[in-house]
Amino acid sequence: MTKAQVQSAAVSDAITIPSPGEFFAAMGDHGQPNWTQMFVPKTAVSTSSREQMALMLGVLVADGYLAVEAQDGQGVKNTGKEIINLAKKLNVSQSVLGRGNSISDFAENNDWSALREELEATQNEVKLSMVEQKDKDLVIMVTVGAWIRGTQVAAEFISKNYSPGLAGLLRQPAIVEYLLSGLDGLPEKLRGAALIVDVRQKLGAVLALVQTKDRAALAPEAVNELAATMISLVNAISKGEKEP
Amino acid sequence: MKKLLVFLSAAGLLAAQDAPPPPATARSRALELAGAFANDGYKIRDGFWAGTLEAGKPQFLQVNLFSGNEYWFSAAALPPDVKMSVTLFDENGRPLAEEVFQDGAAAAAGLVPDASGKYFVRVALLAGDKAGFCLVYSYK
Repeated sequence: MTKAQVQSAAVSDAITIPSPGEFFAAMGDHGQPNWTQMFVPKTAVSTSSREQMALMLGVLVADGYLAVEAQDGQGVKNTGKEIINLAKKLNVSQSVLGRGNSISDFAENNDWSALREELEATQNEVKLSMVEQKDKDLVIMVTVGAWIRGTQVAAEFISKNYSPGLAGLLRQPAIVEYLLSGLDGLPEKLRGAALIVDVRQKLGAVLALVQTKDRAALAPEAVNELAATMISLVNAISKGEKEP
Repeated sequence: MKKLLVFLSAAGLLAAQDAPPPPATARSRALELAGAFANDGYKIRDGFWAGTLEAGKPQFLQVNLFSGNEYWFSAAALPPDVKMSVTLFDENGRPLAEEVFQDGAAAAAGLVPDASGKYFVRVALLAGDKAGFCLVYSYK
């Protein structure tokens, strides 16, 4: 490839960004995560902020994948309901709402493979609905929320079970650059919202952590720092308006 | 991965053409090809990348892969009388020695990345002037 081809390669939210399921599958190849222990679901936040709801929706999608890895059927159903309830608050189209029943049916039958596909299809349909409703600015936030939650779960596990193989999975500078560029492209009013400012600032710091030379794995200290940053972001996203 | 290629060539796609197919789109053909990998435990991503290919003008897509996972990138083009290819590159744009499958207007490339990070997928027309294409990928 020429330099120009490298620089002008297409990027697509739906395919350039790996799903949390893909991330978790790779973790299973390098370690032995106890998914049941790691599945501590977040509940939908009580807020009137649409950007916070969109970020939370992404967090819940990642939780859905986590519940699938834990093979926790009830957990998947509960998370699916949370996703659909939040999607309703964001006024997504009726077609998305039917996905909730599919998630529930697949969970009932322990069809984990179908659930992974259904979760991603639900997320993509929510995003499509957002675009159709001229809410396209929320799309990047769903992607950001899912990535933050997936990375928080992974970084926490890796900080407690460090190995270069596992830590190498956290080396994702191109993804962080993509997310930052998406947030930078938001309208000024949205970009200035306190939560978005916090997310942008922390993702900027994360970029420096995950940009290692020669594709080297992150050092243990960097993994710890990444985990702490991701925990604080997930807490900020899932903090309701009435909480202190 | 090699066993899978033999299976694809010998039975999968060709046998599927015996029954009257529904109206095909590039995406349905790409999913048909990816479906053969699903039989081997690969999970197909819901997202896809689609566009138009012209002779001498390959298209490139950035993807992010994890070491430890195995990947197949499956693509198909329409009209069906064209010939296309799928090739993979590392983050610096150097070609990778991957598994490849090529059958006219359908093609796939498989990779087991040795490092996590950015990679590139190239889709190109080998024969024909212009074609719509769709690419999907699967992992395990």
